[in-house]
Amino acid sequence: MNQLNYYECKNVSKRYGNLTALDNVDFHIGKNEVVGLLGDNGAGKSTLIKMMSGVVAPDTGNVFVDGKETKISTRKQSEEIAGIETIYQNSALCDDMTIIRNIFMGREITNFFGFMDHKKMEDLSLEVLESGVHISGIDSPLKEIGALSGGQKQAVAIARAVYFKRKILLLDEPTSALSVRETERVLKYVTELKSENVSSVIVTHNLYHAFQVCDRFVVMSHGKVIFEKNKSETNLEEVTEQVIKV
Amino acid sequence: MKKFIDNIRSKPAGGILLLFCTIQIIAIIAGLLYPENFRYLNPANIAVLLKSMSALGIMAIGVGILMISGEFDLSVGTLYTFCAIVTATMVKEYALSPYLAMIIGIIVGIIAGLIHGNIVNRFTIPSFIVTLGAMLLWKGGTLLYHGAKSLRYKYESETYKTVLTGDIGVIDASFLWFIAVGIIFYFIVHHHKIGNHFFAVGGNPEAAIAIGINPKRVKLIAFSIAGGCAALSGVVAMSRVGSVQPGGGLGLELEAIAACVIGGCALMGGRGSILGIMLGTALIYTIQDLLLLLRAPGFYFEMFVGGLIVLAVIINVTIRKRI
Repeated sequence: MNQLNYYECKNVSKRYGNLTALDNVDFHIGKNEVVGLLGDNGAGKSTLIKMMSGVVAPDTGNVFVDGKETKISTRKQSEEIAGIETIYQNSALCDDMTIIRNIFMGREITNFFGFMDHKKMEDLSLEVLESGVHISGIDSPLKEIGALSGGQKQAVAIARAVYFKRKILLLDEPTSALSVRETERVLKYVTELKSENVSSVIVTHNLYHAFQVCDRFVVMSHGKVIFEKNKSETNLEEVTEQVIKV
Repeated sequence: MKKFIDNIRSKPAGGILLLFCTIQIIAIIAGLLYPENFRYLNPANIAVLLKSMSALGIMAIGVGILMISGEFDLSVGTLYTFCAIVTATMVKEYALSPYLAMIIGIIVGIIAGLIHGNIVNRFTIPSFIVTLGAMLLWKGGTLLYHGAKSLRYKYESETYKTVLTGDIGVIDASFLWFIAVGIIFYFIVHHHKIGNHFFAVGGNPEAAIAIGINPKRVKLIAFSIAGGCAALSGVVAMSRVGSVQPGGGLGLELEAIAACVIGGCALMGGRGSILGIMLGTALIYTIQDLLLLLRAPGFYFEMFVGGLIVLAVIINVTIRKRI
């Protein structure tokens, strides 16, 4: 196995009744790499993302993290073993909660009895918002997520992942609800994260966006990987053709 | 001014607090101006007002926590009666200490909540349906267990009498129970991590799952709190009145939900506060009290509470929208 691969899955299959969502899929994520996971609707991209993040368990296949075979069958395991964080189209945030509570959701800083240390969480949230991925237009971590724009929300979700030292970000259609300018910003974050040793997988229908940030393209169709090339070896036309061919 | 509005806007109980204070100020001024005709500030009136709100208030806190987590419990009204009757029977038939009987009653409530939650989780059906069924089940269960006779609850212990029915001036012991339950759950909901999980699960269950929170576990805890609070309110109310009616309690679940909605809890979950729920309860009883003082016929109460529910939600939504 390639030493550079941080995460790898081999011969992964997943069936839902009669439907084969993943059919012997091989997929890997290298270090400091942005992978574009492409394909038409129903190609199996989302199932693959869910499998990697531990929400869906594969029927067969092997998963390797840092070269070691591992079993990931819950969301917690993917987080703890592989350092995976998933960012969805509607980011995994609660509109009615403040930025602080969202950043520390499920990972609250508490005392021995489980009571939250509000001061510490606020200080750290400020740090998160000010450093690393810079989020413009957010002045206070006490703001509710519902008051933010789509791009700012995604930025908070990404900042959260960075703060908790994730190794891999899985972005499932992260920009489909965003304006043009917000999309640009999110894509810039992804590129910046590469220099902080965070690899990303982006699922998108927009091949222009994919070409802007991805180092490698993987095209899926009917649960199979049908095409895989580095950016330097291919071009927009070829990838487009692969995505639309039946 | 803007900061003040922002501050109120950002608090889930902001709108209700404003409404509550306005009504209190008007009532107090009227009470001072016309002490003879409008006896709002009369100690006897204040005592009755504080005494009456505790049973619904304790129940509403449990219902509200469950609503924040995105679920309903329609069975709390009949569960309230069932648990009170279990408690009374333990004392009467088995000569248990009233404290122990009270704990047993609350445990029965918690177990009932766990059963509701488990059914909702396992079969992924709406809690509205499950607890609608449970409402009838506990009502029938009460009649099966005890029959239709009303049950007098006598207790010999003086200490128990003081702890549950004593008073300090105009403040009744049951009101202190209400405040104590409120304070305990204030810290749990707003300062404990499980509270954060209630809001997360109710606000965006997918987000909660994605971040590694187990919504089923969180909801189960919320259901057990709702059941436990219903049982406690049943015992507190029964101890105060000295008897329990097997047919009583039905309808309280809707009043409890009304108190939560008035207090700023979102119907679909993810929003609400303990202070809001307590103020919502207090507001319902203040309105009732004001109408009684004005000698309005009984049905006015329901009409006013109906209007209040809609008005409170309008205020909450409007305040939230305006920045």
